Amino acid sequence: MTEPALAPRPSLRQLFWGMLQVALSSFGGGLSAWSQRIVVEQRRWMTNEQFLTGLTVARLFPGPNQINMAVYIGADFHGLAGALVALAGMLLLPFTLLMALGLAYFQFHTLPAVDRVLAGVVAAAAGMALSMGFKILDQYWNDRVALLLAALVFVALTWWHVRLIPAVLVAGPLAMAWYWPHRSGQP
Amino acid sequence: MSGLVASAAVCEPARLSDLGTLLQVLWEFLSLSLFSLGGGNTLLAEYHHLAVSQFCWLSNAQFADLYALAEAAPGPSSMLVGLLGLGASWREGPFWSLLTAYGAEAAILLPSTLVMVLACLSWKRLEHSPWRVAFERGLGPITLGILFAVGLKILRTADTNTPGVLVSLVVCGLMLRTRISPLWFMAVAGVLGGLGLINR
Repeated sequence: MTEPALAPRPSLRQLFWGMLQVALSSFGGGLSAWSQRIVVEQRRWMTNEQFLTGLTVARLFPGPNQINMAVYIGADFHGLAGALVALAGMLLLPFTLLMALGLAYFQFHTLPAVDRVLAGVVAAAAGMALSMGFKILDQYWNDRVALLLAALVFVALTWWHVRLIPAVLVAGPLAMAWYWPHRSGQP
Repeated sequence: MSGLVASAAVCEPARLSDLGTLLQVLWEFLSLSLFSLGGGNTLLAEYHHLAVSQFCWLSNAQFADLYALAEAAPGPSSMLVGLLGLGASWREGPFWSLLTAYGAEAAILLPSTLVMVLACLSWKRLEHSPWRVAFERGLGPITLGILFAVGLKILRTADTNTPGVLVSLVVCGLMLRTRISPLWFMAVAGVLGGLGLINR
């Protein structure tokens, strides 16, 4: 498969507008798919392979995935400045909109009608939160150590009321030691 | 579930117009940033702890509302931090509210952004390092445990009646089995709430 030639390296201004376009296009959802469509297919800033590498890095490191992806794209072209510009492009509109919603919320949430509707929306949102763990459970189903680690972390956070930072600082190094790659055989 | 409500009632909200408190809040978000594993949702229970139990900016119900709002609105759901900042200084007027909102969001994103820039620039060397492999494999199961704890925490925070909990469970199942946009679930549940079938 021959890929079409890449466009020249985007300027900071183009980065900003590109990310703004991604944010606008994804107003119905599917942020990740939109950023691939716009960055790879439409603007041809990156090859698909480069984009997928970026996704791997974005998922690996701390931070929200889509935001990390914007940072990766920006940093790839213009280092820290590019990262901040891409981040601003991606967040400016949705964040401003959300803050407007938030101001309206604090103004009106005591109205009984608003509160009733919100009680319903909250029930659905709680279901979404509940599904997050189940969504990645499959990949660990055959790894007993992983399940044991997950169960321990769950119990520590839920019943022993351990805070997240100490929990990760204790369990993280232990898990990393266990999963440290052997010299041979590991992919 | 009633224990949570009792602890919120005795809590004295901190004033963010005081520079010291504002800096303390920013520091809390800065230090949480690098623990945002698995796409950011691992921090939800910590946000609840900060906003409801420690600083008393919000009630349980308000926290649940803001979480739902951030999920429903377009854009990354981690913008919830901005809403928490807004709630934190709502009493001080809109100017302080917005300032705290933008400050809190910048604080939660700054450290992870810096790490991400470094990772992007040195990925060629990191990619095959044993540290990368161990980090990826080791933190996966921990993320799994955290996400289950977070799910349960949010369910308890929502604190709806039995029909509400049933809706939560059905939505959870549909999220796993179908590719329907979650906006539909929230819209339908919102109607059920408006009709008085779901309450808290």
